[in-house]
Amino acid sequence: METSELLESGKFLLEKWVESENTPEENRLDIWVSTTNFKSAVQSLVENHWGYLVTITGMDIPPVTDPDDNTQPGQLEAMYHFANEAAIITIRVKVPYSCPQIETICDLIPSATIYEREAMELFGFDLLNTPNTEKLVLPDSWPEGVYPLRKSFTNLQDLESTTKEQTND
Amino acid sequence: MSSVSENFYTQVVGKLKNWARINSPWAIHFNSGSCNGCDIEILATLTPRYDVERLGIKLQGSPRHADVLIATGPVTLQALDRLIRVYEQMPDPKFVIAVGSCALSGGVFDGCYNVIGDLNKVIPVDVYVPGCPPRPEAIIYGVVQLLESLKKGQKREKIVVPMEVPDLILEEESNGNE
Amino acid sequence: MTKPKVEKFIVPIGPQHPALKEPGNFEFTVDGEIVTDAAVRLGFVHRGIEKACETRNYIQDMYMLERVCGICSHVHATAFVLGVEKLAGVQAPPRAEAIRVLASELERIHSHLLWFGVAAHEAGFDTLFMYTWRDREVVMDILETLSGSRVHYSVNVMGGVKVDLDDKTSDQIKKGMDFLEERTEYYMKVVTTDETFLGRTRGIGTLSRERVDLLGAVGPTARASGAQRDIRVNAPYSGYKDFPVKIVTDETGDLEARFVVRLKELYESYRLIKEILEKIQPGEITTRMKRKIPAGEVISRVEAPRGELFYYIKSNGTEIPERVKIRTPSLCNWGTITDVAVGHKLADMPMLLVGIDPCFSCNDRMVEVRSGSQTSQIMNWDGLRKYGIEYYR
Repeated sequence: METSELLESGKFLLEKWVESENTPEENRLDIWVSTTNFKSAVQSLVENHWGYLVTITGMDIPPVTDPDDNTQPGQLEAMYHFANEAAIITIRVKVPYSCPQIETICDLIPSATIYEREAMELFGFDLLNTPNTEKLVLPDSWPEGVYPLRKSFTNLQDLESTTKEQTND
Repeated sequence: MSSVSENFYTQVVGKLKNWARINSPWAIHFNSGSCNGCDIEILATLTPRYDVERLGIKLQGSPRHADVLIATGPVTLQALDRLIRVYEQMPDPKFVIAVGSCALSGGVFDGCYNVIGDLNKVIPVDVYVPGCPPRPEAIIYGVVQLLESLKKGQKREKIVVPMEVPDLILEEESNGNE
Repeated sequence: MTKPKVEKFIVPIGPQHPALKEPGNFEFTVDGEIVTDAAVRLGFVHRGIEKACETRNYIQDMYMLERVCGICSHVHATAFVLGVEKLAGVQAPPRAEAIRVLASELERIHSHLLWFGVAAHEAGFDTLFMYTWRDREVVMDILETLSGSRVHYSVNVMGGVKVDLDDKTSDQIKKGMDFLEERTEYYMKVVTTDETFLGRTRGIGTLSRERVDLLGAVGPTARASGAQRDIRVNAPYSGYKDFPVKIVTDETGDLEARFVVRLKELYESYRLIKEILEKIQPGEITTRMKRKIPAGEVISRVEAPRGELFYYIKSNGTEIPERVKIRTPSLCNWGTITDVAVGHKLADMPMLLVGIDPCFSCNDRMVEVRSGSQTSQIMNWDGLRKYGIEYYR
C-alpha cells in the first residue's frame, strides 16, 4: 500500500478520539488525544494490526509565564510512535506535572514495558498499572523524584552530592 | 629463621615473580561506560592480525587472576561500584591501563549527568593510551611500555603513550623475546 | 564446574556490557536446567546522551552521537544528519548520498563479521572466531583508507560527507569485496552443514511471526522469522533511493535462520557496494548548511546492522536542539530474549543472547549464581560459556 493510503486507514481507525491533528512530514500523522480516550485509540490500532509500536518519546514542556503574568503550568507530553512501512502515526498525550497519569498499554503491547519504564524514570510519568516499575537505565544510587530529562534538571548540583556520597563509602 | 636469610628468600621470590610477571602479564578488560569502540579494538588485539598472545599477554576473565586492568570508557555512576570492586579483587601488585579518550578525560561524555569523568578520579592509572579509539598497535605499545618500566625497576611512574606509535615495535619486541 | 545443588536459582548475567545504553543485566530464574523466568536491567553504560544533546549545538551533537556505539557509529550520525538536513530543507548532493550508503554497507559488513565471530566463540568454535576476525581486518583497512579511522569514521558532515572516493580506494574496496565474498561462501557452508554447530543453533530460540509483531523485534532477528521489516526497503532513505537493496528473510525463526539471514545480507552488501563503485557519479560532496536550524520536528529512521534505528529531533530555531530521542535496535530486541528464554536450557543462554546481536563484544563479564539459601557461587561469563559448551559435548 502507498504511504498516503496507510495514513488514511490509520486516521480512519482513530477518527473517534482525535482532538487535533497535524501532518509535519508527508509520511507522518500526529494526533492529539485526551488521557481518557488514549487507551481506546491505541487498542484500535493494535486490534486492526496497524503497524507496530516503535517507541515512546517523552517531552517536557516547562511552565511559561507570558508578559501578562499568566502562568501556563508545566506539562509532560508522551508520544507513542506507530510505524507501518514508511508511514508513522504518533499518538500524543499531554498531562500536567501535578497529575502525570497515563494508562499503561503493556496489556495490549507487551514490548511497551521497556519504553514505559524508561519514560517513568527519565520524565516522571505515572503509568497506571504498568507491570514493572523497577529501574531500567538510571543507577541504583539515583535519588528518588529526580527526573534527568526534565528541563529543570541541571546537571551538576544534583550529581555532585551523589558522587560525593559514593566515593566516601 | 634469621632475618638475613628471610630477606634473601623474599628477594629471590620477588625477583622470580617479577620475571614471571613481565614475561606473561594477564589482563582483565573492564568497560565502565565506553561506546564499544575501544572494546572491539582490545578484542582485535587478540585476533590473528595483532595476536598479543605471542607476547605472552593473555586476556583473562576473572579479576582474581589478573595483573593488569585494561579499562575503557568514562566512569558512569552505575559502573563505579563495579569498577572499584573489580580493582580491589585484583591481587597486588596491580597495574591499570586507561584506554581511549574517555578513560583519559571523560572525552565527549564529559559533563553528562550520569558520568563521573575520567578513570583517574576513581582508581590510580599507570598507563594512558590516547585515541578515539586507539589503534590496536597503540594498546599493545601501552602494555609493552608498562612492562619495560617494570623491567627497569619497580618505580611507579605515569606513562603516556604518544599519539605517534613507532613502527615495527611488534617485530622488535617479538624478536627480543625469542 | 560443579553442578548447582539447589533446585531453583536466579542467575544474573553480566552487569558490565559494552553496548550503548543497553548493557544488559539479565536475571534468569532457573529450575534445575530449564529457565523459567527472565528479567532485564540496563543502565551500566547509561551516560545521559539525550540530555547532553540539549546542551550542545548540532555539529557537536553529531560527533557525540557517533560515539553512542562504536560498532554502528556511522548509522547514528547518518540518522541524525538526515533528520537535521530535512529540518533545514537541505538536500545533500547525490555523490554524498552514495558515499553515505557505501559507508553504511561497509559498516554492516564489519558489524556482521564481528557478530559472527563472537557468536562462533560463544558456541565454542574459536577457530571460526579467529577466521572471521582475520577477514574483518580487510573491511577495517578499507574503512581506514576511506576515512582515516578504524572505528569512528566521521564520514558525515552537515549537508554532505567529508571523504571522497578515488580510483585507488575503489580498487582496494573491489578487491576486498571479492575476497570476502569467497570467504562468506565458506562461512555459509559451515553454518548450514557443520553438525556440531547446527546442534547449537537449529531449533533453538525459535521466534514465531506473531511473536515478532507482538514483541516489536527489528532487524535480522525479525527478518529471520519472516517479517518484512527493513527500513532500507520499506522507507528508502538517502542513497538507498538510487541504489535499492533486496530484503533478505527466512521462515524458521530459530538461531540458524538468524545466522543465514545475516550471512545472506553480507552478499547483498557486497553486491550493493560494487554497484555503487560502478555507478557513482562525479560531483560535489557537500552543500552549504546553516548553523541555526528552523523550528520543527522530524523523525528519522535508518536501518542499522542490528535493525531499525529511530531518531526524533525537535528544533526550536536555535543552534541547539530542543529534544533528541534515540531508540536503538538492540533495545527492541532485548524483549525477545526475556520471552524466548523461558523453557530453554541455561546452556543455551549465551547463544540466545548473541543471537540478537546485542552489541556483544566483551566476553569476560561476571556472573553470580545466587540461590534462595545462603550458598552462593560466583561464575563468570567465561565459565557459563564453558558450561554451555561442556553441556553439548
